[in-house]
Amino acid sequence: MRHAIQNAFQSLKLSLVLFFFCSVPVGIAAATEWSGPAQQLAQKIVAVTGPGAVAVTVENRSSLWTKNVDAISGELRVDLEALGVRPAKPEQAAASAAVSLSENAQSCVWVAEIHQGAGASAVVMVSVPRGDNAGFAHESMPVSLRKIPLWAQEDRILDVLILEEDSAPRQIAVLDGEKVSIYRLKNGKWELDQRLGITHARPWPRDLRGRVMEAAAKDHLLDVYLPGVFCRSTASLPLTLNCRESDDPWPLVATAAASFPSFGGGPSVQPLGAFYSATRNFFTGALAPGVGKLSTVGKFYSAAALPREKYLLWLFAGTDGQIHLVDGVTDQAAKLGWGSDVASVKTACGSGWQALATGAGENAGNSGADSVRAYEIADRAPVPVSAALDFPGEITALWTEAKGDSAVAVVRNRETGAYEAFRLAAACSQ
Amino acid sequence: MMFRRKLLAVFALTVFLSVAAVAWLVSEVTRRAFARSDDERTAALVTQFRHEFNRQGDEVQRRVEAIAGSEAVSRMTFALSRAPADSGPYFELAKSTAENSQLDFLEFVEGGGTIVSSAQWPAKFGYPEEAFGSFSTAIEQGPFLKQEPLQEGTVLGLFAVRATRVGERPVYVIGGRRLDKNFLSGLDLPAGMRALLYQNRGDHFSADLLIDPSTSSAEKMRSSEKLQPLIDAVRQYGQEMTAVVPWSGNQADDEVFHAIPLLGTDAGKDHPLLAILLIGNSRRTYVELKRHIRSAALLVGGGGIVLAILLSSWAAARVTRPVEQLAQAAQEVAAGNWNARVAVSGRDELAQLADSFNRMTAELLGQKERLVQAERVAAWRELARRLAHELKNPLFPLQLTVENLVRARQQNPEQFEEVFRESSRTLLAEISNLKGIIGRFSEFSKMPQPQLHPMQVNDVIRGVAQLFQAQLEAPGRAKISCELQLHPRLEPVAADAELLHRAITNLVLNAMDAMPQGGTLTLRTRGEDGKVLIEVADTGSGLTTEECERIFTPYYTSKQHGTGLGLAIVQSVVSDHGGRIRVESQPGRGTTFVIELPRG
Amino acid sequence: MKRFGWRRLVASSLLLMALLIKAGAAETRPQYGGTLRIAMREAPASLDPCDATQADSLARRNVLALIFETLVTLDDRGRLHPSLAVDWQFGPGNQRWQFRMRHGVRFHDGTALTAEIAASSLRTANPSWKVFAEGEAVVVELDHSDPDLPAELALTRNSIAKKNGGGKLSGTGPFHIEDWQAGKKLTLGAEENHWRGRAFVDAIEVEMGRNFHEQLNELELGRANLVEVAPQQGHRVAMEGGWVSSSQPMELVALAFSGDPKTANEKSLRSALALSVDRGSMKSVLLQGAGQPTASLLPNWMSGYGFTFSTDADLKRARHEREQVSTAPNWTVGYDANDSVARVLVERVALNAKDAGLVLQPTTAATADLRLVRIPLASADPWIALANLAETLGLAMPKPRGESGEDLYAAELALLAGQRIIPLFDLPEEYASCPVLNDWRPAADGSWRLDEVWMGKDRP
Repeated sequence: MRHAIQNAFQSLKLSLVLFFFCSVPVGIAAATEWSGPAQQLAQKIVAVTGPGAVAVTVENRSSLWTKNVDAISGELRVDLEALGVRPAKPEQAAASAAVSLSENAQSCVWVAEIHQGAGASAVVMVSVPRGDNAGFAHESMPVSLRKIPLWAQEDRILDVLILEEDSAPRQIAVLDGEKVSIYRLKNGKWELDQRLGITHARPWPRDLRGRVMEAAAKDHLLDVYLPGVFCRSTASLPLTLNCRESDDPWPLVATAAASFPSFGGGPSVQPLGAFYSATRNFFTGALAPGVGKLSTVGKFYSAAALPREKYLLWLFAGTDGQIHLVDGVTDQAAKLGWGSDVASVKTACGSGWQALATGAGENAGNSGADSVRAYEIADRAPVPVSAALDFPGEITALWTEAKGDSAVAVVRNRETGAYEAFRLAAACSQ
Repeated sequence: MMFRRKLLAVFALTVFLSVAAVAWLVSEVTRRAFARSDDERTAALVTQFRHEFNRQGDEVQRRVEAIAGSEAVSRMTFALSRAPADSGPYFELAKSTAENSQLDFLEFVEGGGTIVSSAQWPAKFGYPEEAFGSFSTAIEQGPFLKQEPLQEGTVLGLFAVRATRVGERPVYVIGGRRLDKNFLSGLDLPAGMRALLYQNRGDHFSADLLIDPSTSSAEKMRSSEKLQPLIDAVRQYGQEMTAVVPWSGNQADDEVFHAIPLLGTDAGKDHPLLAILLIGNSRRTYVELKRHIRSAALLVGGGGIVLAILLSSWAAARVTRPVEQLAQAAQEVAAGNWNARVAVSGRDELAQLADSFNRMTAELLGQKERLVQAERVAAWRELARRLAHELKNPLFPLQLTVENLVRARQQNPEQFEEVFRESSRTLLAEISNLKGIIGRFSEFSKMPQPQLHPMQVNDVIRGVAQLFQAQLEAPGRAKISCELQLHPRLEPVAADAELLHRAITNLVLNAMDAMPQGGTLTLRTRGEDGKVLIEVADTGSGLTTEECERIFTPYYTSKQHGTGLGLAIVQSVVSDHGGRIRVESQPGRGTTFVIELPRG
Repeated sequence: MKRFGWRRLVASSLLLMALLIKAGAAETRPQYGGTLRIAMREAPASLDPCDATQADSLARRNVLALIFETLVTLDDRGRLHPSLAVDWQFGPGNQRWQFRMRHGVRFHDGTALTAEIAASSLRTANPSWKVFAEGEAVVVELDHSDPDLPAELALTRNSIAKKNGGGKLSGTGPFHIEDWQAGKKLTLGAEENHWRGRAFVDAIEVEMGRNFHEQLNELELGRANLVEVAPQQGHRVAMEGGWVSSSQPMELVALAFSGDPKTANEKSLRSALALSVDRGSMKSVLLQGAGQPTASLLPNWMSGYGFTFSTDADLKRARHEREQVSTAPNWTVGYDANDSVARVLVERVALNAKDAGLVLQPTTAATADLRLVRIPLASADPWIALANLAETLGLAMPKPRGESGEDLYAAELALLAGQRIIPLFDLPEEYASCPVLNDWRPAADGSWRLDEVWMGKDRP
């Protein structure tokens, strides 16, 4: 069954992409945007048939939505009538024009096959360029109670930092391989505030990862960690970003001054950093300053901190496929079948902190779509405490936000190929 | 021919004839029995083939039934019964099913007669099955033959049809095996039997339509030529027929062909002749069996003859051994072995004969010994007489001389001195004569043993002739001419040259003595039968028969003053050389002595 | 704060956990390491991208794309992307193009990529072009206008390759050649310092010259991770549990005549044949639903107008055309003996033709009156794909080349009017992969993009 679905996705992929792109202009603009091409086509048809009774049919052979087809059809008929063409039934018409709204890889192609009398036929067409990529990014995502869409774009999103929010995020910083983009919500639309380029001498590794964090110190606003590169912004807008080669450890949890006090009554927590491989996609295992006695663990992809009453339990998603539970004294490995991204999130339920872990989506078939599930680590045994939250593709990043009560997940949409960032909010459902 | 061989031939012939007669009789009876059995075998084989053919048909039917009942076909039937029917997924079903079921032909035909899937012509899906009209009758029947059109031409197949249905819409499963080389090769036939198939298409015989699994194309052309008359006859009369087909001069290559017409079941037609099955049954086994019997008879006959010869040899040997011993003994006796005896065993006629032979030889030996004794006495007497004669001759003058001396002493003493001198001379002369006589006897007794060396006889002859040349031509005596007739390429002999010279010298002296009036002395040599012959011939008065018989006896002489030892010495020399001497003479015509010496 | 019934939860969750683990969880983070084993039918004798003697195929292009790179790339929508060139500009009339080269790119032998080397490589591949280095840029000057030049530079033959002294080829791609047994096996190693980052897999082994059946066997036996699947078998393989994925139709299956029609009669007979072919049943049955019936040279997804060429059989018209000629010759139809579906397609065409009164004799001989051909489309750019098709079929591409869809349509119409070719189907490339292969998707244009895949752990 998984295979069939994967197959279906494979073959549908392009058409879905086209569907989306061909539909974009309608979604973001008035139907009048079709008027130009429709008018051109009408003129081409009339050039062949001349004015008079013409039977016009419109058939959709593309991934256009029906309402768009109706709009285009209407536009075309108006244009034809304006050029002296009188709609007629086929048996009464001197000519027939079968209009097909088709598409190719680059553009929508509207084709009219014109038949006049016996045997005489002609084909005319117009190409309608597809909408720009930018259109895609502004599509709002379906709303979930647990995952809140933040941002989507074609380029790989490494991390999203919410700089300002009230009931909803109002300003965000989006990190990708080449830049930090700062967007602000204005009138219900995201607008680009600033784009801060990232300079780097060495090529990025594949499966690029990075973090953008609010600086703990007040002297600057953003810290950006990328493989072998560290960037620091200035303190206030308009920002500038200074990057340098660096193998400094990445903070494993955002150690904003405001965050970890909320570990609540527990022991004072030392911020933990880990060294990230400059040419790979994992942390080398060297910790700074270390968890208790342990200053190194095995190579890992991600880590999550779970504050306990008297100690801090760290989960490391090792590159060996195992989850290592490290409490500063012992390193206990378990094959839990989790994915390689873990994060922690603070809730008002259970022990107060739950682990978020990626895994195969339950309803994703073979499409490779992932899900995130929350686990309670009780007695070192993980117990799922939430239903799996499905995502429309594979999760490429999962980071705990600075406040600790939410996480940011980045997903590569299997259908569109675009990257979509979500905020994962955990709330007690009981 | 030896007696034993004659006996052997008679025995062997008798045994051979008996064995040959028995072998022929057995062979003929066996051959007839096998001929009868071979006919029965051919009939049995044809029956077996029919069973096998039917079995193949049943096998096809069974497989088609199994396919019709299979889950895959049921699924297909069910899928095709739904609307809209999608036959696409089943396009390769016939091919894979046919491969699994080892069928050459398999088609699934839906109720309307359209091919859903075809193993033999996969591209033909969706087209109507041409033989669809006959399916309803074919289902009730067993397997049937059908011409199947294929991409590359029409072929013949053994088919069966079954229907499987879900609801109202049946799906026909028509499967079959191709009647081709593989089919024919796959038939379980006894050794020596083969099946050929002629596909009856077109109006005329065509060699291409003959399927012969066992031969190459070149041989196929040849075989089709031989089989054409039989095939044509079956095409004409539509009946089963049998014919013997000779493939070569060798009878063992002959084959008996039984032709069976195979009819189709096409609807609306009167059972057309689709093919002719030719069942060939090699006569090789039969012919080889016949040959085997013959060779067995020959072997037994030959063995019998050999045995007969061995037995006959043994029997003949047993019968002829006493006779042979007698013959042997007789030969020995003839060769001078008077002591030869024959062993006497049994009391039959041959034993009596042997006994008589033994007694006869004993008697002959006794007589011979007596004769030798008499001859020895005679020789001694002759010796005594000769000695007396020889000695008497000088003794008489001695006596006279002595008496003269005495008388002269007494009567005439003054002349005595003179008489004494004369008498002394006479006495000395006679004594010398006596010494000569004694010397010759002594010389004879002292004949040396010859020292044999290869030598040329002609050289000796020439030496002797040269020695006597002066004597022969000496004045004062009658002229004797010497003639040498020497063989120029005489082979050498092993001889003592000196002794031989002496022997020939004696013969030449004899010859000169025999020709006081002169004549011709001929010395001749020649080779004959591995011998060298030396002839010394004179033209004297010759010898009488009696003289000839006695002439080599020692001390016999026909001369006035001979001792009679000359020829005895010659004979002794010749005898010591392993040769012999004979004399040929007639009175008045001279004498020829012939010495025969064995070659070196 | 409400407390969970933790104990109950623990107990009830154990079962769920077990199920989860058994079902296998995604390891979403790509893992480095492992060897990817691929099997393919093609058996190229040379890895030289501009070796014109090698048959073009998607598989060859994809293998070469692992080793060599082009100045620009086309995505599966035909859009241009920078690759070895970071940007480009053109002069008036599209005759002078300037491509600014990327910094820091090195060949596998360690040599830095320069504009001179790139220009030299392009000159080798296109002797008729005037290509030279100008500072850090490569300049291409043409004697005619060519708006498609960047797309043309994305073709495999325009890959930037450098021959060292020993004639050994070196590229800048994500993999370098470790071992090459011509036509048999290619072993590639990941390039540590590739400008787009090191590929995830350590090595790729490509077994060549394996037929579809052998490839599936190798996949089932675990000896290959990624194999090609015959389009008509894709559905079945997927139904039987295989992981099958496919590209957009990138291969044209057509009947190609050996020469132009010489008489009006021959034109009628060719029309009769074209009208008799029932593509629908061939698709649904012989191709098991794979591919798209087509009467045009370019697939509809590329042109957008392909549907205007009717693919329906019209037996009545076919017979009418046939009846215009008193006696028709028996045509031989050649096909590749190693191509099982070609045989049955040709047989079906012969049956269809028979219905129209034509006699076609299938043959595997090298010479035939017409031949069933399979032509891989050269590019996702329709103009380039069409020009390449015309060149492959020995047809003269109409000039001048236009830019609009109507121009493309007119060009294709002109090519088809010669009655040299009867398009039958556009076939996709289908692949079956093993479950441990992650992030594997052929692009719409059939590109593999194997530098992005990674090998996961075996799953139960």
